[in-house]
Amino acid sequence: MGIPVVELRHITKCFTKVVANKDVSITVNAGEVVALLGENGAGKSTVMKILYGLYGMDEGQILIRGEEVQIKTPADAMSRGIAMIQQHFSLVPTHTAAENIILGNVHGRIAIKEYEKKLSQIARDYGFDVPMDRPIRELAVGQQQKVEILKALYINTSILIMDEPTAVLTPQESDNLMQFIKSFTAKGNSVVFITHKMKEVMEVADRIVVMRAGVVVDEVRREDTNERELAHMMIGQDIVPPVRNLSEDYAAGKDVLRFEHVSLREKRGAQLLRDVSFSIHEGEIFGIAGVSGNGQDDLCDVISGVKSPTEGTVYLDGQNINRATIRQRNAAGIGYAPVDRYRDGMIMDMDLAENVLLKGCFNKKWLNHGFIRQRQLRRYTDELIQRHRVKATGYSDMAGGLSGGNQQKLLLGREVDVGTRLLVLNQPTRGLDMGAVDRIHHVIMEEKEKKKAILLVSTELTEIFEMCDRIAVMHNGGFMGIYRNGELTTEQIGLLMAGVAGGKEAAE
Amino acid sequence: MKRANILLYNIAAVAVGLVISAAMLLFMGVNPIDVCAQTLSKIVTDRYNLGEILVKGTPLIFTSLAFAFTYKANLFNIGAQGQFSMGAIAAISLSLALQDRVPTFLLLLIVLVGSFCAGALVGALIGIAKARFNANEFLVSMMSTYVVSNFMDYLLRTSLQETKAEYMQTDAISKSAYLPVILKGTRVHLGFLLAVVVAVLVWVLLNKTALGFQIRAVGKNPNASELGGINARRIYVIAFLIAGGLAGLAGLTEINGVQHMLLREFNASIGSYGIGIAILANGNPIGCIFASLLFGFLNIMGTTMGRLPGLDIPASIIELIEGIVMICVIISYALRYYMENRSEKKRMRKAGV
Repeated sequence: MGIPVVELRHITKCFTKVVANKDVSITVNAGEVVALLGENGAGKSTVMKILYGLYGMDEGQILIRGEEVQIKTPADAMSRGIAMIQQHFSLVPTHTAAENIILGNVHGRIAIKEYEKKLSQIARDYGFDVPMDRPIRELAVGQQQKVEILKALYINTSILIMDEPTAVLTPQESDNLMQFIKSFTAKGNSVVFITHKMKEVMEVADRIVVMRAGVVVDEVRREDTNERELAHMMIGQDIVPPVRNLSEDYAAGKDVLRFEHVSLREKRGAQLLRDVSFSIHEGEIFGIAGVSGNGQDDLCDVISGVKSPTEGTVYLDGQNINRATIRQRNAAGIGYAPVDRYRDGMIMDMDLAENVLLKGCFNKKWLNHGFIRQRQLRRYTDELIQRHRVKATGYSDMAGGLSGGNQQKLLLGREVDVGTRLLVLNQPTRGLDMGAVDRIHHVIMEEKEKKKAILLVSTELTEIFEMCDRIAVMHNGGFMGIYRNGELTTEQIGLLMAGVAGGKEAAE
Repeated sequence: MKRANILLYNIAAVAVGLVISAAMLLFMGVNPIDVCAQTLSKIVTDRYNLGEILVKGTPLIFTSLAFAFTYKANLFNIGAQGQFSMGAIAAISLSLALQDRVPTFLLLLIVLVGSFCAGALVGALIGIAKARFNANEFLVSMMSTYVVSNFMDYLLRTSLQETKAEYMQTDAISKSAYLPVILKGTRVHLGFLLAVVVAVLVWVLLNKTALGFQIRAVGKNPNASELGGINARRIYVIAFLIAGGLAGLAGLTEINGVQHMLLREFNASIGSYGIGIAILANGNPIGCIFASLLFGFLNIMGTTMGRLPGLDIPASIIELIEGIVMICVIISYALRYYMENRSEKKRMRKAGV
């Protein structure tokens, strides 16, 4: 095989609170796709950010084509043919595609038309369809990603690192991406593909490096492995999905949440929700599938009370709650686990008891003439920690000191007790290790048993199929349809997620 | 991080600041050790001077609390000076109007409530500007100080001006409206005790009550707080209202306890010192008491130094000292953060490898 293009030797990196990488060694050969597989937080992105010069390493060596190099900034990396496409794109939304691509590589007067022509040619060579003269903010996410790729191609990248590139794509767009990766590597270039999805790994990777908790646990060739084995390596334990009975009929149960022709429009006019109607019954798990950013967060905001609908009505237990405050909704029994718990769910530099109080600071249970009943609150917090198997020493731990999974378990425990009628869970397992996911799925099932109505937003189809009774597919702020679980195949759902109307029939 | 550690860093920073300041005296051609020893002995041996530390510290406790309180809601109240001035206007007006007509105790109670309300009014307006129009509270509160200061000048020229109509100042209030002196042979008045009690109450409010929790929660994460049902805008108004009231109370202690009249540029720098003191105390209300007393002490030291015979040390040296101490404290925060990070990292690596 000759000298590897990239060789990382014994990389160790510590952040203030965690060891992100410990003695990580990875090699990448020319013309090869290396998949870096692991749960979120396993240290995949960190080690690649070190290679790309975004982070410094504490120990270790980087060799490019057999030669030891110092990579201190992304510019160093780029000059050696390394480019990285971040999970969150680094594009200027108000600039055009062409301007974004040449950004940082031009001086003086810019003949933009010529660049546009040249770039369009490169794009065509790879079968990309990107309008070079349109501002980035007007492009679809899939197209934005292509701009990112073109940025890398433009500087003659030979080693392309992609961090979770399919997270924001529809299944069809993902297929296109896989095509690109194959043709790109066929020319002797290398790709490092960071992901936690096994399906993609099996499709595109030549070699698979599995990481867990900051270390490389194993390295295999694709031909020598299968998804089950990979899952086992990633998690380090076997997962038992919760048992469920799909034959029950929930339509007979009482409506808990009902949407009637709900639309939400921004002041400037962008339509966030389009004529959404549905109802969730007692004891039912209603799933919202879709590529993230298609109105799921706005739907949750309308239920939790952060936004109020511009048209239509939301009912909780038959009562119109359009004008109810968040506080009233909390009191009425709506529990809500927001998608971004750092921003919306918890206060990281307060202790666990205070985080529990956050949802109960108007609840008479915790108050005595305006004073906080510390003893009861602390006892209850410790009880939550026990009940939901949160790995914490007690109520006085800082929320920020817990791992993501444990934070989420505590948050869910809190919301489950607040939401006596309805639970709104926006991607409750996103970015968590399998153990925590497993635990959270069990909690959701327990709550279903208690006849609560549950709205589960997820971008993971496996989770949707595993948990939900009915499934709505969201695209561009509207529902593509509501289906019973089992009615749709993955392919059909994929088309619906991409906004292909009648995707169900089309696929048949 | 551990409380003891913070305290240690603060004390060290103050000490370093004092040493640097003492070195300044070298440039004046005097022996710093000698001068400090003289000054200290003057202060320690004189009951009156010792008392003055508490007298000077009292209004600083209030203005530092006024900054520390909104600081907990992650808001910056730069306008304690204006809120104090408004409190002082209320205190002098009420005292002049009611003195010798109502019993002392009742009068002081009315002035207490009045000066709190006057300061709270100014504070609440800033809070409303923030909540309703998303105005920058930093700028609004800062500029409000100028408005109040000019309003005060206007009153001192018109309705509040002394009967002689000579200077821009009010008549002195009568003895019956004085805050009683609590230590014989000094000027230490009841206001000092009030300041300490208020600081403790503020601590209780912030740490033991639902309102205090909401204020802290909004300060740390307004998004999560909103989802907890807390109305962040309402909290902005309440936080500024209370902070303004706290600064207003200094109006009572300074008018009825110390000056007994209102004049131009009355205590014109206690607002800005309050900010520095609150930062020195890391926003802790109890810490504000001690930090204020430290500044009271520095103040007295400066005055005493200036009076040392035959040395010609300008009394303004003290502002230099106070400035240097503040800078040292702020540097110590950065240093502490860096050291904590480093030791944590070292620990991690040892445990990791």
